[in-house]
This record gives sequence, C-alpha cells and structure tokens, in this order.
Amino acid sequence: MEKLLIVGGGAGGIILANSLDAKKFDITIIDKSTVNVFQPALLYIAFKGAKPNIMKSTSKLLKRGIKFINEEVKKIDLDARQVITVKNSYNYNKLVIATGSITDTSSIKGLPEVNAKFGDYHTNIENAQKLWVNLNNFNGGTIALGQSSPTCKCPPSPLEGVFLVEEFIKKKKLKDKTKIIFFTPYPRAYPAEPMDEVVEPLIKARGIAVNTFFDVDYIDPEKKVIHSIEGDSIQYDLPIIIPPCVGANISYNPATVLDSDRYIKVDKYTMQIPGYEDVFAIGDATAIPTAKSGVTAHLQAKIVAKILNNVNAKFNGRTNCPFDMGYGKASFVIGSYTDPVVKYPPSRIKHFMKIMMEKIYWQSLKGTFDPIFDFYFSRTDPAKLNKHSKNAKPV
Amino acid sequence: MGNKIFVDARGSSCPGPIVELSKAYRNSVVGDTIELWATDPGVKADVNSWAQKTKNKIDSITDQTDKIVIIIEITNR
Repeated sequence: MEKLLIVGGGAGGIILANSLDAKKFDITIIDKSTVNVFQPALLYIAFKGAKPNIMKSTSKLLKRGIKFINEEVKKIDLDARQVITVKNSYNYNKLVIATGSITDTSSIKGLPEVNAKFGDYHTNIENAQKLWVNLNNFNGGTIALGQSSPTCKCPPSPLEGVFLVEEFIKKKKLKDKTKIIFFTPYPRAYPAEPMDEVVEPLIKARGIAVNTFFDVDYIDPEKKVIHSIEGDSIQYDLPIIIPPCVGANISYNPATVLDSDRYIKVDKYTMQIPGYEDVFAIGDATAIPTAKSGVTAHLQAKIVAKILNNVNAKFNGRTNCPFDMGYGKASFVIGSYTDPVVKYPPSRIKHFMKIMMEKIYWQSLKGTFDPIFDFYFSRTDPAKLNKHSKNAKPV
Repeated sequence: MGNKIFVDARGSSCPGPIVELSKAYRNSVVGDTIELWATDPGVKADVNSWAQKTKNKIDSITDQTDKIVIIIEITNR
C-alpha cells in the first residue's frame, strides 16, 4: 500500500482522504486541532449574531480506515521525506500539504490592538462574536471596513461584510447617523471587472463610500485613523479590518518552497511542488494565483486524488466563491485560468444555495454530494455562462 | 540600482493580476524594478491607474504573442 501523509484536517485534507481507496492507500491525516470548522459561517456570526455551531470532530468526518494523528507539525523536510511534529517524525511515500492559511495581525502596526478590541470575521469564532458585540454597541459614526493586505481568504468576503453591515445599520435605523467606508487595495470595489459591474450599482444605491488603491500601511488606534501606503487616511469610529492572511507557521527544508507570505509554490495545474513530484499542496496553503476558498480546496483535492491514482488530471483554476450581497440575495464569482469572471447578478436562489451549503457541508466532505457538485460545476462552466451572458437580450 | 522582482500573473484566476502586483509592491523598495507578466487584457488599464495613484513609473508595456509584459520602476514607496 502507498503510504500517504496529509498534513491538515481542513476541508481540503478531509476531502482528499475521503476521495481515496483506503485499501489502496495507507492514509494518515495530521493536525494540531481535533476539529474542523465551517469557516464561511464566521460572516453570519459577526454580522447576524448566528449561533456558533460550526465545528465537528475531524476523526468523525473521515471514512473507515483513515488514521488521524492529533499533533502539531513544526517542520516539513522534503529532502529527508519527513514530517516532524512536536512529538514525532513521520516518513511518507506521498505527501499532501493542506495546512490552510491563518490571519496575522503582527505585520501591520496598530492592528493587534484594534483587532483585540473590535474583532474580525476571518480569524475564529471568538473574534466574530466580538465583532457582533461591537456592532450592537455602535450608535452612529463612521464604519471603515476592508482588507489590510492584498491577499485575503475568499475574495468576495470584504464586500460581503460591507453589504451585511449596511443591512444591519439600516435595520437598526442608524443609517442617517452612519457613514460606511469600504477600503480596498484594488482599482475598484471588486477586483474582477465583470463582477464589479454587478456590485457598483448596489454600492451606489446603498450609499457606501469606496476608497480604492487603499493598501493599509499602519493604524493609529489613539487617533482612530487607518493610513495607507499610497498616503491616504481614513478616520473611523468602528473599524472592521480583515487581517492579512499568511501560510501556516511550519518551517520547510528547502525554505525556498515558500513565498514571502509562507504560501507554498506549486505547479498551478497539478499542485505538485517543483522538484518533489511526490509532494503536493492544496487549498489556502498554496501560492497558486486563484481564490482561497473551500471550493478551490475541494476541486484541487479531487484533482490530486486522480493524480495519486495515476490518472492524468489538471486543475483549471475554476472559482465558485459564494458572494452574499445582503437583503437575502447572493451570487457566485465564477472564473478560471482561461475564462474571465462571469457577470453573474445576485438572486434569492443563489442565496439559498449559499445557505444550504452550511447544512450539507459535513456530508459533502465524505463525497455524498459529489454527483450533484459535478453536475453543478459542469452546468456553470464559466465559458458557457459567459457565452450565455453575451447572448442574453438586454432588459 | 535595486532588485528585480519578477511577477508571473499569467492566467491568474479571480481576483486577478493586480493582487500579484500589490503583493510585489508591498515587498519592494525605491530603486527596485517589477517585471509583471499577465494575460488579462484589463491589466494595462489597471496598472496605469495603479502607477498614477502610487506615483510609480511604468517603463514599458509590451504585447507579446502569449503575454503582456509590463516593466515598472519603483520610484515611490
């Protein structure tokens, strides 16, 4: 049997493990945490006060025959073919690194203090709940919301936050006393133009101000000002700042496999580390220029599963990021390496689909819904949707 | 003469090449050069807007058969 080690028990690691035949592969997952968290729900804990029932024991999500080791990985030595934890070291025939990404406030002066006080909706349940409390204590003033570095898990997430905060403020009847400023390091509210054409009218209609080319440099918590690398500044009363996200804190030999944000450099089609064809990385952990999202981890896990079974397969960069636009409507950001992002208007059906994902997530990790997902991805291929969009008659 | 930073943003899926440029700019100093490769035609307008806003200099934008090559001189950081 081929000995396969998977570092990381998030969506990518679990989906990969469950996609393989445990009679053909000796599969072990190693993770410092014993639970898997449904991260997209942090948005609703922070902005709607949703209950935090969003984690399950990792070992219960694995099919029979897959081993789980609860240890913290400190180093991965690709030359020695070893994964070293705080307690042991493990050899492998094949290795898949699915260690995800983490928020890191330390690289932005002033952000640790702001984050400790106000929370955020990307780090963990506690921070999301803290943000919900701060939102409810808000009685008017300026809300400044945005990402504090170019890389952000789930590209629609900053705008999701600003749309839901506007909805919250409106429901609390504080709209007349509140200014909402959305800041982004990009040239437009949503970086991909076709989707920006969908969101701009909503932003305008809801009175949200947008500061583009605003790449956060440092924050002055005393004066309550966010400063940008470009020389601009925003005064705030309630800051909702998504911290920078970086790769897991694991050292590597060779160190050159990591980029400056600790993401692993891999082939963007096969997810293999160049020079180490038995080693793959999937999901948020990679430096692949595509969205960091559960869908990406899912699709890459399926491709790697095929490659491990000696089937020729390539990841095409397909994205399918759910995008809540407030007031019960949502869309998906759909694109690929070769197809531009689709101009996909929001609808209640798409919002329902996003909400349903939370209900079916745990079963989906076991592959229960694979035939439905395959049908969905085929029907919503960006090339097909873009063609339909071009042929659609104007309203 | 600073470092040359090479950014291969060809075929980058959403959110697109401007993310890769922003990341490289964050890690740059005055005197560095960024060479950006991209296939998204919208990158030219975005980089022009970015250079204007950040007060950096675009040395050249070249259309090659399989990619767009943009050379940027970091004059303000």
